Amino acid sequence: MAPGLLWLAVFFVLPNLQMVVMSLSTGSIAQGWTFAWDFDNYIGAFGRFPDNFRNSLVYGGIATLLCFLIGYPLAYGIAFRGGRYRTLLLFLVIAPFFTSFLIRTISWRILLGDQGPFLAVIRDTLGIVPNNFSIIATPLAVVSGLTYQFLPFMVLPLYVALEKIDRRLIEAARDLYAGPWRRGGAVAGSIGGAALVAVLLGGLGYASFEGGGIVGFLAAVAGGAVIGGLIGAFLISESFIRVVWPLSLPGVFAGSILVFIPAIGDFVNVELLGNPKSQMIGNVIQNRFLQQNDYPTAAALSFILMAGILIAIFLYARVLGTEELTGGRS
Amino acid sequence: MTDRTTTSTELSRRRFLQGAALTGTAAFLAACGPSGGSAAPSAAAPGASAGAETTAPSGGEAATPTGPLQFANWDAYIDVEEDGVTSPTLVDFETEYDVTVDYANAQIEDNESFMATIRPQLEAGVSTGWDLIVLTDWMAAKVVGAGWAEELDPANVATALANVRDELKGLPWDPDMKFHFPWQSGGTGVGYNSKSVGRELTKIADLFDPSLSGKVTLLSEVRDTFPIVHLALQAQGQASDNPPESMTVEDATVVHDYLKPLVESGHIKAFTGNEYLADFGSGDTWAAIVWSGDLASSAGPDDVFVYPEEGSMIWTDNMLIPKGAENKYTAELMMDWVYDVDRAARLANWVYYISPVKGVAEAITALDPEAGSNPLLFPPPDVTAKQHPQPTFSEPDELAVNELYADLAGV
Repeated sequence: MAPGLLWLAVFFVLPNLQMVVMSLSTGSIAQGWTFAWDFDNYIGAFGRFPDNFRNSLVYGGIATLLCFLIGYPLAYGIAFRGGRYRTLLLFLVIAPFFTSFLIRTISWRILLGDQGPFLAVIRDTLGIVPNNFSIIATPLAVVSGLTYQFLPFMVLPLYVALEKIDRRLIEAARDLYAGPWRRGGAVAGSIGGAALVAVLLGGLGYASFEGGGIVGFLAAVAGGAVIGGLIGAFLISESFIRVVWPLSLPGVFAGSILVFIPAIGDFVNVELLGNPKSQMIGNVIQNRFLQQNDYPTAAALSFILMAGILIAIFLYARVLGTEELTGGRS
Repeated sequence: MTDRTTTSTELSRRRFLQGAALTGTAAFLAACGPSGGSAAPSAAAPGASAGAETTAPSGGEAATPTGPLQFANWDAYIDVEEDGVTSPTLVDFETEYDVTVDYANAQIEDNESFMATIRPQLEAGVSTGWDLIVLTDWMAAKVVGAGWAEELDPANVATALANVRDELKGLPWDPDMKFHFPWQSGGTGVGYNSKSVGRELTKIADLFDPSLSGKVTLLSEVRDTFPIVHLALQAQGQASDNPPESMTVEDATVVHDYLKPLVESGHIKAFTGNEYLADFGSGDTWAAIVWSGDLASSAGPDDVFVYPEEGSMIWTDNMLIPKGAENKYTAELMMDWVYDVDRAARLANWVYYISPVKGVAEAITALDPEAGSNPLLFPPPDVTAKQHPQPTFSEPDELAVNELYADLAGV
């Protein structure tokens, strides 16, 4: 216990104390900082950057959602269908991450750039977007970057949770008539698909409610509902819903926290892929520290962000009720 | 039109010149190459010998160059060979003094964010890890004023003292060159890709033409972006008559209010430092406020720089030795090294900025008569007449303007 506590004290408690002291100080870089119980820093930090807080929550949330939607089938496939290639497949998930974070993000600039391969296909070859359509410097680019950067943090805990599941339970469920999940799957899938499309379009700023925009929006949502419904009706079995899903929840919990926390505080992806309107709270903290030399506001923002994340995790843990993580009864 | 500076023919001239300089013309280059052990380095170069002799430590045993010299600089600010890595100026220096130079290219992307990385060390009185840094006038003045720069030993920078251009001497923050020597001077103006834009841009106001929506970036350096746009607004009668060098917070607010809708609409894509070079390279940026030499030295043949009709900014970046530098003597040698006329000519002719060294005009003209009239190296009178130094803000004003910038940048 003691080495662990010492570690926490030196590398977590002390820096945080210093941050709290700074967040309540006044002064300037030239005159130095004095501790003054200055709670105005917090009020200012809260009130002045609502857009950045919103961007952080929305982009971090969507990235977590997308990581889950991509990561779950991937982890499931590796765990249940990987066979003897499991280790290799897991390695392939992590392989890109031997490259530097920065290099990977800059590669996305090229991939999503106006002259990049992605637009070359969907704009020039397929023609499904207008000529002046850009992905770089939009929220879509930011969320793409975030999703890509944090995907392994979702896949690995999910894999661990899925891999542990006793296959005999699934067989037993099938023996007990857990077949295809037709009606429930269709309903749940449609609702999920429609919600997902609505969240993506709304969150990434593509939803427009003027003129023809509303029609397009509703059509896209309906499309999402149909696809989701088909997936729910034909790809998801009742044994999955009753056995695999509940048993994989600790992995879902751990994975989504591991993605959401770094994603919400990230600033590199926005710096390289975003525009002035998509700046997240991490960018504000960085700007306050490095450009404006406004350490108290930066410290207050960091503290608010940390506290907010802790509260969110606490609530999330209560909802998902994961004893494994909280060390409760088992 | 007359302000247009870099045409593709000039660029090919530059390429030719580069090749010539690298292969035949400058004998000392070949002699001082990294593997050129046959020739005695200091004696080989007629042009370099004068500088080398004056910089040689006069009898002090203690004064041996130490290294590696940690040199932080901006992007596109040193001569490099075709491989994109080897710099003749640095390689010659390494050979001459038998010391390694760790040249951190693009380490500095703007003054504030670089200073933020070394300020805590300077305040704590410990080494920053850098021996030589390059900062723009206003930031250099702050560093010297705070006592964070090492005082130079005049004996070690004799060439620099002798060769620095007179108009760069006597600055209020360091009148006797005790702490700094200029690295290069340059202008801030408009850069654009002529192929993507499809026409000539001549004005700052052209950047805000609707046809360029989403393809424009401005500089994150507030002392460039705000005064430049102020000039554009003045020309349209939308701003006060204050010259940019003495613009006020009210003037900056007018600029902010003009730019804000353009940011909101996505017309202005980003505020950048030297990264605009990458954006020009990828075709994502078509037009931007840029620093004068970068596009000519490091971008494509279609990327051109113009001194805008409304006027432009002029500034100087200065070499400083941060307090506590571990290789101060070597850093002084480097300061002196680049003040040799021939080396300065080679450097300026590669980076396409304005050299702070006397006699460079003659040396460059001797190398190539056409280069002597390059407006990037030697701004013509009609350009200099409309050039303004960057504004100096009082501390509260600086905070206010920085806040205006932060609001535009969305942070």
